[in-house]
Amino acid sequence: MPTLRVPLAWLREHVDVSDVDDVALRLHMSGSEVDRVERTGESWGDKVHVARIVGLEKHPNADKLQLATVDYGRGRTTTVVTGATNLAVGDVVPYAEAGATILDGHTGRPFALKPKPMRGIASEGMVLSAKELGLGDDHEGIMQLARSLTVGALLRDAIGETTIVFEIAPNRPDTLSITGIAREVAALYDLPLREPDAASIGWDLAPEVLTVRIDDAKGCPRFCAAYLEDVGITPSPDWIRRRLTAAGMRPISNVVDITNYVMLELGQPLHAYDATRLRGRTLVARRAAPREHLRTLDGIDRVLRPSDLVIADADRALGLAGVMGGEDSEIRDDTSTVALEAASFEPLGIRRTADAHGLQGSSGSAAARRFGLELSTALPPIALARAVELLREHAGARLVGATDVHPAPRANVTVRLRFRDVERVTGMQVSSEETVGVLRRLGFATADDGEALAVTAPAHRTDIGIPEDIVEEVARIVGYDRIPTSIPNGPLPVHERHPLEQLRERARDVLVGIGLQETISYAPIDPAWLGRLTPDGAAGAPAARSTTLGPEPLRITNPTTVAQSVMRTTLRASLLDTAARNLRHRPGIAIFEIAPVYLPRPADLPDERWTAAICLAGRAEGGSWLERDRDWDVHDIKGVVTALFRGIGARPEVQGRDGAPGLHPGRSRLYADGPLAVLAWGQLDPRVAARWDLPAETFIAEVDLASLLAVARPAAVAPSRFPAAMRDLAVVVEEGRPYGEVEQAIRDAAKGLIGSVSLLDLYRGPQVGEGRKSFAVRLVLRAPDRTLSEADVAKAMKRIEGRLLHQIGAAIR
Amino acid sequence: MDPNELADRALDEIAAAADEATLEAVRARYLGRKDGELTRALRGLKDLSPERRAAEGAAANEAKARVDGAISERRAALRAASLERDLGGSREDLSLPPRTVRLGRLHPISRTIREITGIFATMGFESVEGPEVEWDYYNFEALNIPPDHPARDKFSTLWIENTAEVALARTADGGSGGSAPAPAASRPMLLRTHTSPMQIRVMEQRRPPVRVLVPGRCYRFEATDATHETVFFQTEGLAIDEQLSMADLKGVLYSAARQLFGGARKVRFRPDYFPFTEPSAEMAFDCIVCDGSGTTDEGNCRTCGATGWIEWLGCGMVHPKALERVGYDSTRYQGFAFGGGVERIAMLLTGTPDIRLFHENDLRYLESV
Repeated sequence: MPTLRVPLAWLREHVDVSDVDDVALRLHMSGSEVDRVERTGESWGDKVHVARIVGLEKHPNADKLQLATVDYGRGRTTTVVTGATNLAVGDVVPYAEAGATILDGHTGRPFALKPKPMRGIASEGMVLSAKELGLGDDHEGIMQLARSLTVGALLRDAIGETTIVFEIAPNRPDTLSITGIAREVAALYDLPLREPDAASIGWDLAPEVLTVRIDDAKGCPRFCAAYLEDVGITPSPDWIRRRLTAAGMRPISNVVDITNYVMLELGQPLHAYDATRLRGRTLVARRAAPREHLRTLDGIDRVLRPSDLVIADADRALGLAGVMGGEDSEIRDDTSTVALEAASFEPLGIRRTADAHGLQGSSGSAAARRFGLELSTALPPIALARAVELLREHAGARLVGATDVHPAPRANVTVRLRFRDVERVTGMQVSSEETVGVLRRLGFATADDGEALAVTAPAHRTDIGIPEDIVEEVARIVGYDRIPTSIPNGPLPVHERHPLEQLRERARDVLVGIGLQETISYAPIDPAWLGRLTPDGAAGAPAARSTTLGPEPLRITNPTTVAQSVMRTTLRASLLDTAARNLRHRPGIAIFEIAPVYLPRPADLPDERWTAAICLAGRAEGGSWLERDRDWDVHDIKGVVTALFRGIGARPEVQGRDGAPGLHPGRSRLYADGPLAVLAWGQLDPRVAARWDLPAETFIAEVDLASLLAVARPAAVAPSRFPAAMRDLAVVVEEGRPYGEVEQAIRDAAKGLIGSVSLLDLYRGPQVGEGRKSFAVRLVLRAPDRTLSEADVAKAMKRIEGRLLHQIGAAIR
Repeated sequence: MDPNELADRALDEIAAAADEATLEAVRARYLGRKDGELTRALRGLKDLSPERRAAEGAAANEAKARVDGAISERRAALRAASLERDLGGSREDLSLPPRTVRLGRLHPISRTIREITGIFATMGFESVEGPEVEWDYYNFEALNIPPDHPARDKFSTLWIENTAEVALARTADGGSGGSAPAPAASRPMLLRTHTSPMQIRVMEQRRPPVRVLVPGRCYRFEATDATHETVFFQTEGLAIDEQLSMADLKGVLYSAARQLFGGARKVRFRPDYFPFTEPSAEMAFDCIVCDGSGTTDEGNCRTCGATGWIEWLGCGMVHPKALERVGYDSTRYQGFAFGGGVERIAMLLTGTPDIRLFHENDLRYLESV
């Protein structure tokens, strides 16, 4: 948003302002956003004066110090000791008496000045640097004040400023000026507005003196120019310099300063040319010619684009219209004939040109920042007349003539406002008299036809187009505070349930419930991270790409940092990074993140797939008097995944095949549905772990939530009212046989009589022999509809034992 | 022996029993199932003649009841005494650190989003979500922000490389792969800068009445500091019906602010500018730290920058052009939209001083909030 600094004294020239805080608040509350009110000089109080150096001599006891005698008015003089070297008799400088609060020149901290002797000479006060006054960083020498200031005046009154700093919305460029703000104040308080003095101009410039032409009326709808002679380039008068400085601009010389002054005052940027540099006595607004070059004011040689609008003379481009002037025709110290341009440009073209030439934004061109907004085409002749007036007064200029080229003037916008519109939109009642009154204060003309108002916007309001715009004007001036509060009535809209979001929130609750901490990390990641997820570190090679680690990620064209330059296709890297950073200051972590991953699709938005990812690493528990140390292990991650499945109502069997990409091939599982990894869990590949500076025992699980949705079917179970029978079984198998097969065989053989199967113990040792292991399994058998008899149980056990024996060659002990 | 005499003896022994084991031995002696003396006496009744059985049976049963009662009473007394001794004698050092019970926590952002969506759900706002990677059309154009519109300056955008065009550019470049990003695609893709594109998506899919709340991640090309992040969360509200006005907007946000921060919160609306709402407003509530005074015991209130107000969100009446773009009759339907940052609220609710803590994932922080 464009910033505007409004010095209070300048504002007061155009409207009466008594209480600056009240004005700032009311402006803020009516839409002109006040960022802050700056006050310089208030802290100086009545102890800091405008003083003149009337005597200077060497300090008798110190080579680097001087004794300065200062006159600070009403016959008061005093001698101060100073180390500054920039003083001469006659200089006007700030002087602080003892008791004044000033800033320390080194630390910048405020302190109360006390008289103190320096090298044996008493110093009652101090002459001050700009920094000691809080007016900048300059602490090199004593601040030099304008010699025109009254010696003895309080510095606060002489140079103190109160400045209201605004952030102006881009639809209101009419308030991006001192008079624009004054107009708002006048409307808010119903006060008269004082327009700036302007020269009365006859628009009768002879073409022999200067011809002004518009070749592209779309890019430049209006072009006013004045031709001035006898111009003397000098520094501007003090008051102009001071106001420009207070408004945040650097004074240069009278002609340039006056164009800037008028821009700040009225909001219309102007450009001054040294008229002797114009070939063919012509100014024309046209598009750049092919391969046309221009050296702009900043000394850069630019190749113009055919779409760039330029101001040219008969032969060549002089400047980028509305963006930046050219070096050749700029005002010089010896300029005496000036062509002054005040024109309207199409905002979009200005923005594109400024952008293409790197002159956009707060560090770019001040003119382009304004012309990039919809400025009123009524402004150029007004601003030109004002500038001519100031140039006559402060540069000795003589107006030869002026011209106004405006091929297609536009009528002011008229909107029909029905009387009920204000209440319809705001819910607030505003009488028609009040509505008309507010609009009048804002400069809108109204005509009442009985059922509606025809509201005609003033020329400076380029943002008005529909009734709602008028409603906003009325509401913002009477104040949004007056809008009542109510709760919507009317029919209740549909309120749908979203299964995936419900599942996701359930998953969050389950994982939190089993003691995991949720994390949220950046969705854009470092592309190098993806390479660090595979054992061979091959990020780019398609062969290393796999279902879990995702395809080539989406790239951000203009990332703020390479560390956030691609959209993550997996949450794994983020979790590993979080784990590694936290393990520097704690023995173990148990974390999860639930977020989308971004899987690119050709010529479409990516598939944003909600994923839950879990990481366990380091110490699980222990390190205390009650618990033995224990690190997380692969059974923990399986336990977490199982709990997650059970918690969301999915069958807890964790399926899949051995070996997930990036994980330990013998200690991980992958369940994929085509190219999509539905579930991967296990121990991180130790080579990957090493790359992240993580312990070899780091455990990961990743679940695609949408796939989980298909299996999450929580079903209430009414417990069987019939007693269960419990049997323990020791099943001896060869070492290579997975437990899962044993359990599956038991379940298959029991034919629905299984309540639960639990593994009580896993034994390897002399009792079962080399290369074998024994599972101690507890079976709970039950039938839903009857009490199992001894014979039933015996029959079932026989089937189970038979199956174990024949199908997997197990021995029952 | 006479049952009554047996019982008297038993009662003496019961009274003398000093612990439960002794008492149990007494019980066995008299009431044991096989050899208890009273048991035997009772068993002997069956050999008697009916007349004697009636008389003696009554006496024997009464004696047994006396012994039973005395044993129960004594047992209770012994247990109470023993418990008394235990309670007095065995002490656990309860200043010892406990067994660790792992405590999981939601991220404060998740918690805050839940809180916000829950509050608006009570006012009939359905929570819906949408894509983070978005077309320029939804993020800007459909919201009255065409290319090069000055309002785009406010939304410093992160753009997504158009893979098809990059591929083309690389081929043209001889396949070096190192060429500059391709020129802006005909259908530019970006990371949404706000949740507002969902206003358009929701209206495209539904007919009024509409009342939705959209939480979600957003992105801006921005330097990070204590209050700015490149990645952040917003919640967007949209309500469309025949008669919704700014008064309803104000009421809904008023209620939300009070539910979030307490019953006495005040709400302030001031005019603001958004191309997709007209009129537009910025909504603030009085500072929860200084209660709107702008000062605390330590001087100027740092939470609200001494203004007394905390700006929460931008809002306004949905622009008629936006309504018409999705095929709503803007002479019949109107409504409001609002959108604001989640982090701001989470910071206030948790006392988090720096927005960067949310994405840093330092568990020491996350476990503290």
